[in-house]
Amino acid sequence: MDLSLILEVSDLTVGPVTPGSAPILDHISFRLNTSDIFGIYGESGAGKTVLSRALANWLPESLEYRAGQVAFAGHDILKPGIREVRIGRDIAYIGSKPQSSLDPTMPVGSQIAEKLHSVRPEWGQRECRERVMQLLSEVRIPSPKERYWDYPAKFSGGMMQRAMIVDAICAEPAVLIADNVTQPLDVTIAAQIVALLHDLCLRHQMATIYLSSSLPTLGQFGDRTAILHQGRFVEQQAFAELLAAPKTDYTRKVIASVPRMWSTSEGPLARRQARGEVPLMQVQNVHRTYRARKRGTFNSYSNVQAVRGVTLDIMPRENFGIVGESGCGKSTLTRLLAWLEVPDQGSILLNGTSLGSLSGRELIRKRNEFQLLLQDPYNALPPRTTVGRMIEESLLIRGSIPRAELRRRVIAAMAEVGLAAELYDQLPNALSTGERQRISIARALILDPKLLILDETLTALDQREQARLIDLFSKLQEKNDLTYVFISHDLAMVRKVCTRIAVMYLGEMVEIADNRELFFDPQHPYTKALLSAAPTLEDKLFDPGDFLLEGEPPSPIDIPAGCSFASRCPKAFGRCRVETPNLIERSPGRLVACHLLDSSDAKAAA
Amino acid sequence: MTATTMIAPEPEQALTRIQSVNRRILLGAWRMPSFRIGFFIFAALLLVSAIYPEVSSISATKMIVKDKFLPPLFLGDKWAWEHPLGTDQLGRDMLMRSLIGLRYSLLVGIVTVVLIFIIGCGLGLFAGFKGKWWDTVIMRITDAQLSIPMIILAITILGVSRPSVESIIVVLALSGWPLYARVARSAAVAERGKEYVRGLRVLGAGDWRILLLFAAPNILPPIAFVAVLDVARMMIFEAILGFLGLGIQPPTPSFGSMIADSRKYLINAWWIATIPGIFLAVALTSINLMGSALEKARNRIYGGL
Amino acid sequence: MLILEFLVKRIAQGLLIVFITSLLIFTLLRVVPGDPVRLIVGGMAPPDVVEKVATKMGLRDPIIVQYGRYMRGLLHGDLGQSYLRPRSGMIATGGQYIDPTKSDMAPVIDQILERLPFTLQLGGMALLFALLISFPIGIAGGLHQHGWQNALAFGVQSLFVSIPNFWLAIVLILFLSVKLKLLPALGYQGFSYVLLPAIVLSVEIAPFIIRTLTTSLGEVMQSTFIDEARVRGLSRRRIVYSHALRNAAVPLVNLLGIQLSTLIGGVLVIEYIFDYPGLGNLTVVSVVGRDFPVIQGIAITTSAVFVFINIIVDLVAYMIDPRVEL
Repeated sequence: MDLSLILEVSDLTVGPVTPGSAPILDHISFRLNTSDIFGIYGESGAGKTVLSRALANWLPESLEYRAGQVAFAGHDILKPGIREVRIGRDIAYIGSKPQSSLDPTMPVGSQIAEKLHSVRPEWGQRECRERVMQLLSEVRIPSPKERYWDYPAKFSGGMMQRAMIVDAICAEPAVLIADNVTQPLDVTIAAQIVALLHDLCLRHQMATIYLSSSLPTLGQFGDRTAILHQGRFVEQQAFAELLAAPKTDYTRKVIASVPRMWSTSEGPLARRQARGEVPLMQVQNVHRTYRARKRGTFNSYSNVQAVRGVTLDIMPRENFGIVGESGCGKSTLTRLLAWLEVPDQGSILLNGTSLGSLSGRELIRKRNEFQLLLQDPYNALPPRTTVGRMIEESLLIRGSIPRAELRRRVIAAMAEVGLAAELYDQLPNALSTGERQRISIARALILDPKLLILDETLTALDQREQARLIDLFSKLQEKNDLTYVFISHDLAMVRKVCTRIAVMYLGEMVEIADNRELFFDPQHPYTKALLSAAPTLEDKLFDPGDFLLEGEPPSPIDIPAGCSFASRCPKAFGRCRVETPNLIERSPGRLVACHLLDSSDAKAAA
Repeated sequence: MTATTMIAPEPEQALTRIQSVNRRILLGAWRMPSFRIGFFIFAALLLVSAIYPEVSSISATKMIVKDKFLPPLFLGDKWAWEHPLGTDQLGRDMLMRSLIGLRYSLLVGIVTVVLIFIIGCGLGLFAGFKGKWWDTVIMRITDAQLSIPMIILAITILGVSRPSVESIIVVLALSGWPLYARVARSAAVAERGKEYVRGLRVLGAGDWRILLLFAAPNILPPIAFVAVLDVARMMIFEAILGFLGLGIQPPTPSFGSMIADSRKYLINAWWIATIPGIFLAVALTSINLMGSALEKARNRIYGGL
Repeated sequence: MLILEFLVKRIAQGLLIVFITSLLIFTLLRVVPGDPVRLIVGGMAPPDVVEKVATKMGLRDPIIVQYGRYMRGLLHGDLGQSYLRPRSGMIATGGQYIDPTKSDMAPVIDQILERLPFTLQLGGMALLFALLISFPIGIAGGLHQHGWQNALAFGVQSLFVSIPNFWLAIVLILFLSVKLKLLPALGYQGFSYVLLPAIVLSVEIAPFIIRTLTTSLGEVMQSTFIDEARVRGLSRRRIVYSHALRNAAVPLVNLLGIQLSTLIGGVLVIEYIFDYPGLGNLTVVSVVGRDFPVIQGIAITTSAVFVFINIIVDLVAYMIDPRVEL
């Protein structure tokens, strides 16, 4: 027996308990040595989670083991009553939903210590507590001694995932199973977690099985990788070789479907700007702050500065993209652009008219010109309403129309977005995600708008449906002379579709540039960090190591003076912490807010 | 997401089999044997209490002293066919009295719940959707109303003037509406935050339109299902009031007053106390079975959605 | 400090609620038809005697003035004196005329304080019995959502909730007390006299505890963190008792506060049936006799107890689950 072999899986087959149903995992076999990092790629729904749970002897009640064994250091963990191997102590699991992994009514640190004491009863309570605190600081959670006693609700996604990592490794397991751990996280945070995990695995010498639905993320580990398809491993080799010489068609398809941002010259060309063209929508120094009652007090309120002085112009016929990570204020900005909320300061003009100056009735009429499409196609549509009725609503709000005329117009709108007329009297229950989004588009289009704001509208869709909708959008743009504003965190999609892009951080715009210029010549350090963290198989333009950010963005309640990015910027210098940089047009069409570009200061810093 | 949803792909329903949520809840409840048992018993009681007193010639209130203390069928030695459930201390037929009592009980129970539902949900929806000032005012009123226990209110109002069916219903409704207002209000607040409301606002729809056309039809049915249970609760209150002498006044029979009077005769004529109690308990059980089944079905369907 | 500010705010609100309640009851009593003076002087007394006595008792003054007088007394701890019960303790029944303007009537506050402990004892024992029955059944039902345990919980809860409390009281008195002579029934001559009433009251409380426990425990057991606790290595016992039950207890605690209202009604009826010397009994007698001061005093006491218990309930909920808004 090979001494460094820690886990041997042979012919593992898992399926639903109903007899005769097809297996979900079919004869999975592999070997794992100590200090190995084994990556497994699987599309969503391919069975990754089932595999990760099966390896930990943690199948839900609806599934059962049909064949095979999982041998940890020679002992088959699937045998009932086994005592030599303990899940939680020898084999640890980290899942993809850190926010719901712990009891919300107890402090995070106490729960980790409780787990540690449960699986290692020989370690005393105080010893467990100290170990946990030490590990919390090892995963770079700031103020670990205080955060030990915080409740899960006070942890952000990234912080919570770090805590779950501590929970998994605190008992010093020999095998770690990481199931899609970075999927819910923002791009820059995910990059940090991946690097952290890699580092920890090597340092604590844990054999790691890393499952992901993102091929580029697996590339960051680089070791042996397997492709899971229809319950089987269709391929298993080192990552670099996998890319260079994939053995199966499926693998080739997977590699091809990873979006490319740099190695392609596709992408919409910048809009040709006609002289003296008037912007369709002008956002002028818009601010929006929320007052939230401070938890733990009665009458003191904290101000959440969601949007701080955003100014931008949206020109007709362009696809304007706004990108940023969670907490940057995109959602608030979206609501302001759609005039669902009113800015505390500043104004928004549409075709020259300030939206704030309109009366109620005038506003409803003006709304014809700009509409918002929401992200979640399941929740964005009113329940128990037929397709036709949903689209009619747009017109009915504005007054009554004879039935026949109403029906005609609705069917015309449905045809324009590609919905069959028979769906008029159906409930949308049986429709796919893409079709539901089309209903949203139809009910906006029927008002004949000039501007469409898309709030993460394409995020919920898979590649195929996304492509189809993007097609539809360009057709509609031609036909109806539409302008789009895309708000998204998906850089690949934005690269494909948008002509001009604005990058948002902590309530402000830090850079606005044309598509090619932003991606190939980013100026602001945050833009560079964002682009370098984006998972892609291509060679990066700049070394991600230079731009790996530390920690998390400051809270929007407590924004430090000076440049809001200064706390994490690898290139920050004195002036950055004192003076807020303005968004200045550095070259035609390019706006950046960074002191580094003021040549004299840059020389001083260099 | 529960552990079981991991492997189930998104259910693709055929275009033809579209069922509204409410119908699914009703069907789900119907499938449970407890619901069916409760339903049939309740229907039977309803029919009997409506029809029998009309067709029978026996009076519920006329005293026939020579017939007093007749035991129910087959028990003792003096039973008679024309009084299948015996007679009370004044010779009045127990079956008839129980059925009339049941009538009033059901009347008070159902009317009260309907009133509570309309007033409570109306105010609650309004408070929840409009928010701010309206919300605070209405919620404070519910707090104040809730701090006066029903029995104290009943004693105060009914204890000092002659109670009638209307005043009993008013008292019960007054003490019952705050709970519905609260439930409707929190449902409205939750609904207000949903995405589709935002979608409708963007199209230009106003608050009232959204509330009445879309939110209310979404919020009210689940509450209505659970309201069935409250019919039983109101019936018990009506009986308690009757017991304390604050209910429907004699000689009109009501469960509470019948049982109160019967205490003196417990040892010799135990049926005078027991029969009305059994009627009431059976009626309540049937309603509770239906209501609980509906509640279970509702939780199941909403949990899975 | 959060808890301190919470207490201050809630106590202030509580005082307001008690104030409003007392005003409401005060007004209602005087607005609803039925003259207490008539009851006191007897149905035969001529109208001018009635008026004389009423004026002397201050019952013809405007309501605001009467209320002011009452409130002033309240601040001194004086809730007035009973209209009916003289200090010696015997109630005046029709015929015998006892002049209530003489200050020999029993102080309301004494009557209330004398009876409050009995009611509290009844409530406490009933709660204890209810918990003893409900927790095992509720937890078993919650853990085995599709097993016989759940059906049992459902059955017990449906049965208990359908039994009218007064009927059960009568039946139990008949069987346990009269026929089998196991427990004493009426009055109070020792601790054992609280047992039968407490049992009946507990049957009233239990169903809602069982129902809430089975539902919320069932829900909590489905949550992700309970599922994941298994793979983290926690024992089943720890998962259920330290985590699941804790989370499931919160809705239970919340609903308890709301249910209090119904409970008070139950206490009243049961004390009346069992002739138990508590506040409920006093209430019934006072209402029938239009003894305004006593009714008012009880209403204020009840509100105050109500407010107090709600504050405790909210505090306990916060201690279990700190996400609760205080």
